[in-house]
Amino acid sequence: MRPAGRDACRYSISQMFELTATPIDTAALTARLAAPEAGAAVIFEGRVRNHHLGRPVIRLEYEAFDELAQAEGDAIVAETERLYPGTRVLCVHRTGTLQIGEAAVWIGVASAHRQAGFAACRHVIEDLKLRLPVWKKEHHPDGAAEWVNCTTEAAAKPAAPYYHARQVALPEVGEAGQARIAAARVLVVGVGGLGCPAALYLAGAGVGRLTLVDGGRVELSNLHRQILFTSAEVGAPKVLAAAARLRQHNPKIEIIAHEGELTATNARALVAGQTVVLDCTDNFATRFVLHDACHALGIPLVAAAVHRFEGTLDVFRRDTGGCLHCLWEGRSPAELDTAGNCAGGPVFGPAVGVLGVMQAAEAIKLLLGREGDSVHQSRLVNLLDGSQLNVERAMRPGCPVCSKLHQLKIAHPPENAEKSIFVNAAGIGALGPAAKTVYLLEAGESTPRQSAPPMITTVAALDLIQLREFAATGPLVLVCRYGVRSAAITRLLRTEGLANVFAQTG
Amino acid sequence: MPETSIRLKVRFFAVLREQAGCSTLTLETTASTPAGLYSELQTKHALTFPVSLLRVSVNERYAEMTTPLAAGDRVVFIPPVAGG
Repeated sequence: MRPAGRDACRYSISQMFELTATPIDTAALTARLAAPEAGAAVIFEGRVRNHHLGRPVIRLEYEAFDELAQAEGDAIVAETERLYPGTRVLCVHRTGTLQIGEAAVWIGVASAHRQAGFAACRHVIEDLKLRLPVWKKEHHPDGAAEWVNCTTEAAAKPAAPYYHARQVALPEVGEAGQARIAAARVLVVGVGGLGCPAALYLAGAGVGRLTLVDGGRVELSNLHRQILFTSAEVGAPKVLAAAARLRQHNPKIEIIAHEGELTATNARALVAGQTVVLDCTDNFATRFVLHDACHALGIPLVAAAVHRFEGTLDVFRRDTGGCLHCLWEGRSPAELDTAGNCAGGPVFGPAVGVLGVMQAAEAIKLLLGREGDSVHQSRLVNLLDGSQLNVERAMRPGCPVCSKLHQLKIAHPPENAEKSIFVNAAGIGALGPAAKTVYLLEAGESTPRQSAPPMITTVAALDLIQLREFAATGPLVLVCRYGVRSAAITRLLRTEGLANVFAQTG
Repeated sequence: MPETSIRLKVRFFAVLREQAGCSTLTLETTASTPAGLYSELQTKHALTFPVSLLRVSVNERYAEMTTPLAAGDRVVFIPPVAGG
């Protein structure tokens, strides 16, 4: 119970959240919302009703763990104001005995515009119901009474089985698979175009704990693909807005928001203890840091990257298929970022959507032990020409990151794998006069960009028969607009035994 | 290895308060985590509420059932909440 006299200073200007044992003065609170800059005042009042789950109710009794409730209430108000910039929140919650029709909770939000006001008000009540240590006991006309949500039988039968019924019905999932998903801890690094859909499907699947990492804020020009956010959250920290949205989507799971970027300093601490990690970042510098932390700790990494209409997907697991360094041997992150990354550039919304959802699918497959070929293949998806190419990946002997593991597995590395797949302008000269340079034309691309090298011929990116013929008759150098596809096709042809194929760099 | 015991304060709310028959307890325990403490309390105070449905706070902050306990800690077991 609150100390007597507490209500003497009720609704103080500085206090944004209050617990009170006496009736809520809604008129006084509404008056406090007035502000010349506030074009909207949104009010929610939670009232005592005369029925619950089909049983009549005659009164309610509220009990609070005062100290923690005050701290949680203060935190909810502060977080909401950060989540919806420009809003001001007031919230009062009752304790004690309440009669039918009485206000149990009052939430008022003043804001410049209605969108943020409605969203903030909704956020406060939803968060409060999850977090505030307040309990209510229902009294029925027959003299019976029970604590809501605490009837052991009801509480012990969570809604989860029903929520996931359609997923559990898959023979590949089943009750055992669902239990593995529920026990999993998944880290999503980057809550942008990839991370939004990935996290949404992971939350929906019932991943027990999702940790989100991002230091950015919600921006209007990103909303077209960052589907967890609305214009009401513009300016808010992305991880807070994403966590709030994901809690609505699946209230049964735990969401942890890490506000800040992943760095070489914090990477290992964030990765440690996770079951699977998703790389949803937009730059190679972070990609390598995250990859190396996952590799060092032996945690599988599902990485995706998108450039305009195209995306690549890789599932890296330490024991097979090589690592990110095998894939991009000796290339610096800065060099790779110049070649093709989506940070700040034009991007086709559905491309990040598709790749993000594919990441969620691969993560869930890893949890179920059904990853199949994903762990040793790069998947290249092109939404403009509708193609998907799966390219085998392998450990590269001499790779500074996985050579030790590789040496343990393969005593005699294949000859062809020794030769680097990348070649620069000087290297092309060294290949001799018979070398053929081929520009791989993208769908919708009529002429190569101006900086393309002198070329002998151009072919559609997927005309593999033609490329195999070229490669069989002499050294073949592949070039393409962004350097991603040429590298992938070079790897593909190398795995077919065609040793004289190279991807041009620079 | 000799077991060391620590002195803790425990508070009960709602359904747990009614089952325990009291609001506060000061006790000596050899339990080193809230999970261990709750199982001890279940035996001593006939608490039937399953631990899987509880959250816990230590010193007025939400904590894990595996958070190590120290002498003087204030522990509250939190049944499913129902605010609003």
